[in-house]
Amino acid sequence: MTAVLLLLRKDLRVLRRSPVILGALLAYPIVIALLVGLVAGYASAKPRVAFVDEDHLPNVVAVGGHRFHIQTVIDDVAKQVTLVRLSPREAARQLADGKVVATITVPPGFLGDLQTTVRSPSLILQTGSGGLSPRVTEQVQALVYQLNGKLQVGYISANLVFVRLLLHGGEGSFLGRHFNVLGLERTQAELAKLPQNKRVDAIAHFVRVARAGLAQTGAALKATANPITLRQAKTHGRTWLLSAQVQSYGIALTVTFLALLLAAGAAAAEHDEGTIGRLRRGLVSLSELVWAKIALAAVVGLALGGAIAIVFGIVVESGGITGGEPWSRLPLLLAGVVLAAAVVGAAGTLLGALAREARTASLLAVLVVLPVVFLGLVPRGALGLAYWVSLFLPFAHAYRLFDAALYSTHPWHTVAVEGAWLLGLGLAFGGLARRAVRTLSA
Amino acid sequence: MTSPLLRALRIARRFGEVEALAVTDFELLPGESVALVGPNGAGKSTLLAILAGALEPSEGSVETHARIGWVPQRPAHYGRLSARENLELFARLEGERDPGRRARDLIERFSLPAGERPSSELSVGNRQRLNVALSLLGDPRVLLLDEPTAALDPGQRRRVWEVVTALRGEGGAICFATQNLEEVGHADRVLVLQDGRVTSSSIDEVFA
Repeated sequence: MTAVLLLLRKDLRVLRRSPVILGALLAYPIVIALLVGLVAGYASAKPRVAFVDEDHLPNVVAVGGHRFHIQTVIDDVAKQVTLVRLSPREAARQLADGKVVATITVPPGFLGDLQTTVRSPSLILQTGSGGLSPRVTEQVQALVYQLNGKLQVGYISANLVFVRLLLHGGEGSFLGRHFNVLGLERTQAELAKLPQNKRVDAIAHFVRVARAGLAQTGAALKATANPITLRQAKTHGRTWLLSAQVQSYGIALTVTFLALLLAAGAAAAEHDEGTIGRLRRGLVSLSELVWAKIALAAVVGLALGGAIAIVFGIVVESGGITGGEPWSRLPLLLAGVVLAAAVVGAAGTLLGALAREARTASLLAVLVVLPVVFLGLVPRGALGLAYWVSLFLPFAHAYRLFDAALYSTHPWHTVAVEGAWLLGLGLAFGGLARRAVRTLSA
Repeated sequence: MTSPLLRALRIARRFGEVEALAVTDFELLPGESVALVGPNGAGKSTLLAILAGALEPSEGSVETHARIGWVPQRPAHYGRLSARENLELFARLEGERDPGRRARDLIERFSLPAGERPSSELSVGNRQRLNVALSLLGDPRVLLLDEPTAALDPGQRRRVWEVVTALRGEGGAICFATQNLEEVGHADRVLVLQDGRVTSSSIDEVFA
């Protein structure tokens, strides 16, 4: 144990005296995390969709007495996609070239059908064959849903004009025909003037029931148009940067990168400096040597992972952001960070012992760490093989453990399962590292 | 009969298909000084590393009850640490009672820089002297030296041999590899190695 602590102290001192390496080790995972963020951000960027107006829509359209500014409506509803006005020919060309991922065409006669308020006009959606097609289809469906949401107000208003006409009577027009109707109110008044008998009573009863029923038509029409409405309450939600996923990935990525590189470099450096032979002369056992490198990875991982967690916690706390347990779960998170860093450190020691030279070990560690991280980022349903491979690498387990430790209401099952995986992987990597370190002094 | 401080029984070492050291027996008696002589690649460093316990033999075994000091051919210390820090670290690993004092003693004895300068920035001669100084930690009775004076000037060589000879005078034993035939005079016994084997050829024959 003393030997492990002595070697750990030596490695930390060596690290402190290598500012360039230390700086690179700190900066690199942050840069990678930002790049991953940029890629993720790009993946959620708005696709470009062509808007082809074959009906020559005017700037202002009146539907059911409501006036719509077409461009305002487009701007308002095009939050999911970037709509670009193009001619039919240009739209077809850009769709073929992949410059737009879909075209939405307003066919001739669209506005006429719309303004009748009795016929449903159609928009024509044409998508390319790229991987974004399903997403674009969903987004255009959402766009049409939002358009319908705006138009239904006009439609309901138009229908209510007729309802009011039926209730109160007066002049109206429908499909170009003008008419004057008595209305239920006036009908009821006229019926009251007539000699009362069973037939008149029956008609008067009908009129009363009809008036009561039609009085509820407005609410019924709104309910029919929107059986369920979704209200979005404004909260202090987490931004993308503060999301549980990004925070857990950030810590996991940093810990994985640092621990792997440090342990690999430190193990190989014992060979580079020739000290492995001196140590192995009964001063330090193979197990102690491996433990020293694991401890180095764990200590540095704890320092940096803890710092990231604390910074996130402060930002979350000062922003009054709800959700997650930034402070009460910190001990659990830090225990997970130590475990994950130690396991990655064991893998790094194995790499370093195999590489035998610090430079080769560093290069090998960089080459290894990126696939390890990206395999861990692949969702289970996306690529089965990648998911199964990632099970035998520490990154995905570390990420899930951190995520559960920080945000799960009941984290213990996940923590236990992922902790057991990490422990098993640590034992396997540690055992292999011990065997590989034996060859370092040869 | 005096029992040996160090005994190797039928040790051999292979690196893959290459036989670095053929099956060899070796003994080192108290007060004895043995020189290993031979051209590059003869197996001298391999034999010394196995005797020191720094390298596992492919077969055979090494028996000793004495503490062993080892000077590898290439200086073996941490380049980012100063001479003092290296000496203190290895003194602690050797179980020295007062590592700081021991480090100061050795720095003075070998005229090593006492500052915090990283040992990787020291001169070749200073690094080699640090290499020798490190081998004296733990008060060894047996010193195994692999070309210990190769990078040293005549004055430094003399100082190293004074230290080594003193150990021998205290009942210890030394075994050193050298290609400097003048240094063979420090030995009671000379083993000539060639192609991984101890040979009966003369020194002149193997260097011919």
